[in-house]
Amino acid sequence: MRTLTFARRNFKEIIRDPLSIIFAILLPLFLLFIFRQFKIPNEIYNIENFTPGIIIFSLSFITMFTSTLVAKDRTSSLTARLGVSPMKGVEYILGYSLSVIPLVLIQNILFFILAIILGLNFNINVIYTILVSLPISILFIVLGILIGTITTEKSSSGVSSIVVQLVAFTSGMYFSLDMVGNTFSTICKILPFRSTLNITKGILNASYNNLSSSIIIVLIYTIITIILAVFLFKNKMTSDNK
Amino acid sequence: MIEIDIKDLTKKYKDVVAVDNLNIQIKKGEIFSLLGTNGAGKTTTIKILSTLLLPSNGEVKINNFDLIKDKMKIKEIINISPQETAIAPNLTVLENLEFMAGIYQIKNKKEKIDTLIKTFNLEEVLNKKAKNLSGGYQRKLSIAISLINNPQILFLDEPTLGLDVISRKELWKVIKELKGKVTIILTTHYMEEANSLSDRVGIMNKGKLIALGTPNELIKKSKTKTFEDAFVKIVTGGLD
Repeated sequence: MRTLTFARRNFKEIIRDPLSIIFAILLPLFLLFIFRQFKIPNEIYNIENFTPGIIIFSLSFITMFTSTLVAKDRTSSLTARLGVSPMKGVEYILGYSLSVIPLVLIQNILFFILAIILGLNFNINVIYTILVSLPISILFIVLGILIGTITTEKSSSGVSSIVVQLVAFTSGMYFSLDMVGNTFSTICKILPFRSTLNITKGILNASYNNLSSSIIIVLIYTIITIILAVFLFKNKMTSDNK
Repeated sequence: MIEIDIKDLTKKYKDVVAVDNLNIQIKKGEIFSLLGTNGAGKTTTIKILSTLLLPSNGEVKINNFDLIKDKMKIKEIINISPQETAIAPNLTVLENLEFMAGIYQIKNKKEKIDTLIKTFNLEEVLNKKAKNLSGGYQRKLSIAISLINNPQILFLDEPTLGLDVISRKELWKVIKELKGKVTIILTTHYMEEANSLSDRVGIMNKGKLIALGTPNELIKKSKTKTFEDAFVKIVTGGLD
């Protein structure tokens, strides 16, 4: 109940600050549109491959967005007030996560509407991909909470832009990771972003081979990030009040 | 009846002792002011008592609950109005009150909110976003929110800081109305405020409690005419 109250408040704070929403939705939409106009002769840029890429890329903006919200809250006295209340660390994390998920849903629906206009065939896999992107988004949201917990309001967007860059360069949304050499390819396999793209691409194209290893990688990263976020958020609440 | 019992409370940060062996007993329904110059340890004390900070040493009982062991029980019966106005800026006044009522899971939510709106005269700004309110209204809202859970103990950290004289007097009136019903621990830099509102005053300097008593007792003890003079004399070490 407390979690829902907190989530409702966060959601209102988010939708009443429309600039960041526009940024998180319009930029990926623009990229999806513009890359289709280039007609690049590479299968990565086929609409059924590039749309999942845009979904994962837009989730990195959710990271940026969440980190700013958390960092902003931390620097205000509202967090001190909430710290005195009976709210628990896990309720904060859930409250932040639940408030961002509707935004992820809106993002994905808009991406698929544009993708269908640009030539993607509508089938049930589109719905499945939207649904699968929601649990994947938890990793990106909690990453945002983690960054917002350890940074300030000013530095949070700078630090989260690293995630945006990592997604762009290590997920394989813009180029095949086989092209980039063994070392870089290994880094991409260790990081979770390639796996998040594998899952969404696999679901959209009904190609389920090798999805289990990607699911395991994303799951491990999500669990570790949640544990770290709860632990650090709790500690930071105390140290912020020193 | 003793509501807050502080024994040998100490807070250290590496080499700095922010609160040094503090011993105070605060009675139920009392308005107790903690005074001192900047860095005296008032806010640190309030943060410890309100469960925001852990003490380094000492024991605190609030309503017979141990500050560390029974933290969650204590959180149910206290509230705070921090030094800076603690409100959600993009929510309206009404939404702010509803939000905190939800956090405390208040059962008679509507009734409680209506009472607070009337008490703090918030009717005309009810649908205004908190960030667009004047400083006076923001402070009123911040204090109104801190009463949402009917706290037995209320911590007010410089509640009238930066307010004009009219807003300040209005808030004094509200605080006086709470006298006897809620135990209030207040910090302030305004001596007139402490004198006018407090049943008793504790003066801190460099983390230590250096004087304790009613404002009149401290005036007599310091052989001065006003409470402000008494404070200055006590803090500057002019007391025998």
